[in-house]
Amino acid sequence: MSYLELKGVEKYYGDFHAIKGINLSIQKGEFIVFVGPSGCGKSTLLRMIAGLEEINGGDLVLDGKEITHMLPSKRDLAMVFQSYALYPHMTVEENMSFALRIQKQDPAVIKEKVAQAADKLNLTDYLKRTPKELSGGQRQRVAIGRAIVRSPKVFLFDEPLSNLDAALRGQTRVEIAHLHRELNATSIYVTHDQVEAMTLADRVVVLQAGVIEQVGTPMELYDRPANKFVAQFIGMPKMNLMPAKHFANMDPNISEVGVRPEHFTLVEAGSGDLQGKVEMVEALGNETLIHVELADGEMIIVRQYEQTSLRPEAPVGVKIDPEQVHRFDAQGKAIR
Amino acid sequence: MSQPKSKWTPGLIGRTAAAWFIALLLFFPLIFMGVTAFKTELQAIAVPSLWIFEPTLENFEIVNERSDYAQFAWNSVVTSVLSTALGLLIAAPAAYSMAFSPTKGTNGLLLWMLSTKFMPAVGALLPIYVIFQTLNLLDTKTALVIIFTMMNLPIMVWMLYTYFKDIPQEILEAARMDGASVWDEFKHVLLPLGIGGIASTGLLCLVLAWNEAFWALNLGAAEAGTLATMMVSYSSPEGLFWSKLSAASLMAIAPIVVLGWFSQKQLVQGLTFGAVK
Repeated sequence: MSYLELKGVEKYYGDFHAIKGINLSIQKGEFIVFVGPSGCGKSTLLRMIAGLEEINGGDLVLDGKEITHMLPSKRDLAMVFQSYALYPHMTVEENMSFALRIQKQDPAVIKEKVAQAADKLNLTDYLKRTPKELSGGQRQRVAIGRAIVRSPKVFLFDEPLSNLDAALRGQTRVEIAHLHRELNATSIYVTHDQVEAMTLADRVVVLQAGVIEQVGTPMELYDRPANKFVAQFIGMPKMNLMPAKHFANMDPNISEVGVRPEHFTLVEAGSGDLQGKVEMVEALGNETLIHVELADGEMIIVRQYEQTSLRPEAPVGVKIDPEQVHRFDAQGKAIR
Repeated sequence: MSQPKSKWTPGLIGRTAAAWFIALLLFFPLIFMGVTAFKTELQAIAVPSLWIFEPTLENFEIVNERSDYAQFAWNSVVTSVLSTALGLLIAAPAAYSMAFSPTKGTNGLLLWMLSTKFMPAVGALLPIYVIFQTLNLLDTKTALVIIFTMMNLPIMVWMLYTYFKDIPQEILEAARMDGASVWDEFKHVLLPLGIGGIASTGLLCLVLAWNEAFWALNLGAAEAGTLATMMVSYSSPEGLFWSKLSAASLMAIAPIVVLGWFSQKQLVQGLTFGAVK
């Protein structure tokens, strides 16, 4: 039985149909990531689950109870905001204990819970400080701490790492993954960063223009994208798409063919499936991205894990791994 | 050690002189009033003005005898404090909803509220006079509290709105997610974060109510008269009593000037409408 269920959930802003009937079942303990380009409605959907945005249609059911129109303060969900949204006039300890103090829990119990959470998040030495005396990473940990002391039914994360620098982002991502494994709490996490989506999620929900494009494990999305949008959204650099007419003996229903950069291999000019010339080489050390201009002017990117001595203008052949070809019809739907 | 940067260039001297001149020009009436209050009536009308004389306190004594200073002062305190408190009680929830759940009409509503200040107060005198007469409220402190509250309400809502808008909405949302009711949210988050703005707003409106003369004169000159009306009673068609008028004025503004002195920082913040942080 699912723990959190969205049934045909809708959102309108005036005439603008922001969320178009979302159906989604989330199991207890699952880590779900909403991902999509900006403006796709992922944050709106999260805020609707939180109760911070009104739901204009459909139902929201949590743990067998309908909560579609319940006040956010009654839902027993915790949210970690992108801006941290700490209470600036309270110390770290007061920030983390706020929810429990509102519930009028026993002060001794509160102290104990805060101490445990602070210990988990390496915040013990900072409990008496105010947020403005903390670094960005520490603030984000306080925001997470504020959520975990409550043991809420679901954790909601709204792009929690996007205000951190790259190094800290990587580190905090790992910490969040650890925490999730430790607490095994149901979590919904919104991001536009596909690395976060791929590394954290049990299941990823790809959204575009208020519609779910695909739901699946990170590898399902990578290996078997349901459509062109998902195929190109997941993976960096994105999947190469080529018109089907480049290839002989193609099913007439197939309009485009997609191949990920690592499923191309460069071979001698004249052999392989496609012919072209090197346009640019990006040597990244652990991998090399070779931009190849095909005979008809189409650009593709080839990824290889060895370094190369190829120079721009060098003629090359490109071989395609036949097991790893994605086929899309005229509507962009994957054909298997 | 670094060299002190300021050198007395001609430009700086000119600007400083101009600043002092303007400041003195603005301040002069107050100095003149302060000096006149300590003169006899005869000295007060001397031409040219006397600047060296033996100061006397008799004006203050006479003012205190002739008009019941304590009564006027009490009326001023009651009307300005109550109208400010009542105004804040009404304005704070209004500003809260406009700042944190704005609708399409919010801007229009704010402008409309401010536009009520565009009309000269005398335009509303007759209907308000008649209403208060019908309600038997003429010359009562209740009437003044009501009218001062209404007079200051647009400014209060505007100022609080500006302050509240500076508080990130996510902090309030975080409180809601933490299980806070509207009251908890107000008490534990909005009030501590907005206290500076609320205090500035209250102070400014206290000063405005204290100095209000038009409505105080027209609706409450005798029993409910405030210090502003006491002042006016010394400038009468039968003759000016300059030194007594000055003494009365000094006594009327003294409390609010002292209050203003101690709350300068808050007041300046209030007058700049939250622009300076």
